[in-house]
Amino acid sequence: MNAVWTIAEKEVRDAVRSRWLLTYGAAFAVLALGLSYLGERNLGSLGFENFSRTTASLINLCLLLAPLIALSLGAGSIAGEKERGNLTYLLAQPLERWELLLGKFAGLFLSISIATIAGFGVAGLVIAFYATSLDVTTYLLLVGLVLSLVAAMTGLGMIASVVSTSRVQALGIALMVWFIAVLFFDLILIGLVSSASLEGRTLLFGVLLNPVEIVRVLAIINLEPDLEVLGPFGTYLLEEFGTGTATAILVSALAVWIVAPVAAATWLFNDRRF
Amino acid sequence: MTAAGEPVLSLQNVTKRYGRVTALDGVSFELPAGCIVALLGPNGAGKTTTFKCTLGITEFQGDITVAGKSVKRHGRSVRESTGYLPQSPAFLGDDTCAEVLRFLADLRHVPASRIDEHLDRVNLLEQRDVPSDQLSGGMRQRLALAAALLSDPPLLLLDEPTASLDSESRRQFHELLVQLRSEGKTIVLSTHFVEHMAELADRVIILQAGKVVLDRPVSELWSTAGRRFNVYLNGTAPRAFLDALRSVGISEENVTPGDPGFEAAIARALSETSGEEGER
Repeated sequence: MNAVWTIAEKEVRDAVRSRWLLTYGAAFAVLALGLSYLGERNLGSLGFENFSRTTASLINLCLLLAPLIALSLGAGSIAGEKERGNLTYLLAQPLERWELLLGKFAGLFLSISIATIAGFGVAGLVIAFYATSLDVTTYLLLVGLVLSLVAAMTGLGMIASVVSTSRVQALGIALMVWFIAVLFFDLILIGLVSSASLEGRTLLFGVLLNPVEIVRVLAIINLEPDLEVLGPFGTYLLEEFGTGTATAILVSALAVWIVAPVAAATWLFNDRRF
Repeated sequence: MTAAGEPVLSLQNVTKRYGRVTALDGVSFELPAGCIVALLGPNGAGKTTTFKCTLGITEFQGDITVAGKSVKRHGRSVRESTGYLPQSPAFLGDDTCAEVLRFLADLRHVPASRIDEHLDRVNLLEQRDVPSDQLSGGMRQRLALAAALLSDPPLLLLDEPTASLDSESRRQFHELLVQLRSEGKTIVLSTHFVEHMAELADRVIILQAGKVVLDRPVSELWSTAGRRFNVYLNGTAPRAFLDALRSVGISEENVTPGDPGFEAAIARALSETSGEEGER
C-alpha cells in the first residue's frame, strides 16, 4: 500500500501546485458564500428553517459542481499520463497497475475533498454567524454526502480515462456522463412520473441508478425527514420502508456506487495491457 | 543479485502480438553481467516492445527472467531490479530534480537521504532544486539515468537515450555508461544509430520485424563485416577541416576505422583547424 500512498501524495502535491484546485476551491467558496449570505438575508428570520434552506441551496450547487470536477479530473488521470508519455515510465517502476490507479483515485479524491471542504467551511462560517441555531451534525452529514458523490464520480471518470486513448476523448465521455447524471436523468424521471405515473418501486429503482439522485434524496431525508418535498415518491418511501430503511437502502446503493466504478476502472486497467 | 554465471537478462522464445501485428516473433537471447548491448533496428523493429515485455508492462508469450526472476511471476521484483530510461523522459509535472528522485525513490524504497548522492553521480547536484522541465535535453537524460540507478539495479534498459543529444552531451552520457559497465551493470541500449554500437557496445543484437537477425560481439562483427565507417558531421564542417582530412588521406571512400593512424589523423585534422567557426 506504500506505493498507493506515494502516488496519492504526488497527486495531491500536483493538485495543490496547479491552478485547478485553487480555482475550484475559490469558485466553490465564492458561490457557497453568496448562497449562504443571500439565503440568510432574504429570508429574514433566522433559525433551523433558514439553515436547512441555505444548506439545500448548497447541496444543489454541489450536485452541479462536484460531479463535474470529479468526472473531468478522473477522466484526465490515466489518459493524461498516456498522452504525456508518462504511463509506461510509471508502470516501469516497482508497483502494480492497481496500485497506480488506486493511488491516483485516492489523490484526486483527497484533492477535491480539500477544496470542497474549504468551500463548505466558508459557507458554514457564514451560516454560523447568521443562524440562531446551527445543526452541525446535519451540516457535516451533507459534507459527507457530497464527498461520497465525489468518490463515485471520480471513479466513473477514471473508467472513461482507462478506456480512452486520449485526454480529449476521456473528457468527452466524462462530460456526457455529467450531462446525463446531473441534468438529463432528473428530467427523464420528472417526465416519467408526470406522464407514465410510475410506481414508487420503479421510481426508487430509477433513483438507485444514479448516484446524483441518491445523494439528492439522502440530502432531503437529512434536511426534511417527513419527505414532503419528494411528493408521492417521498410518501412511497416513508410508507413502504420508513425513513431508516429508506436511508439504509440509499446509503448501501451509494456505497456500491463508490466502490464499483473504481473497481471496474482497476479491472479494465489491468485488462488493457497495451 | 545474480548467481555466478547466471544471465542477468534472459529472453526465451518471446512473442508479442498486438492484434494481428506480430511485434516480437520468438526472440531469444541471454546477457551476462557487466556488458553493454546495442539493440539495433529500424523504427517498429520491436526494440521498445522488448523493453515493455522485460518490464512486465505488457503481456507476452515465452519467458523472460531478470536476475533469475520470472517477469510473469515476480513483475514487481523484476522492475525493482531494472532501471528504465525512456526515449523522451517527461517527468511528472514541474517537480524539481530532487522531488522527481524523491518520488521515484519512495516507489523503490530507497532512502531519501541518498538522493543527493545520486544527483552528484550524474553531475546534477547543482540543479537539485531546478524544475525538471527547465533542464536541457542532456540534463534530463542524466536525471533519468539517476532515476534508473536509484535502486542500484543490475540491469539498465535505455531506450534511444542519446537520440536528441548534442555531441558533447552524448560523450558525457557515454562516459557514464562505460563507468556503469565497469561496475558490473548490464546495459541494453536501444538505438538505430550504428555509431552508438561502435562507440560503446560489447555486443550487438539486430531486430528486424520482431525477429533477431543478428546477435554477435561487436569485435567479431568488425572482423567479419568489413571495416567501413560512416563519419557523421553535426552541422556544417569548416572547409579547412575537410581539406585537412583530405590532406591526411581521409576521404569518403577510404576512411579506415580500426587503423591505428585513423584517430591520430582525425586529431591532427582537428588541431589544424582549431579556431575555425562551425560545428564538428
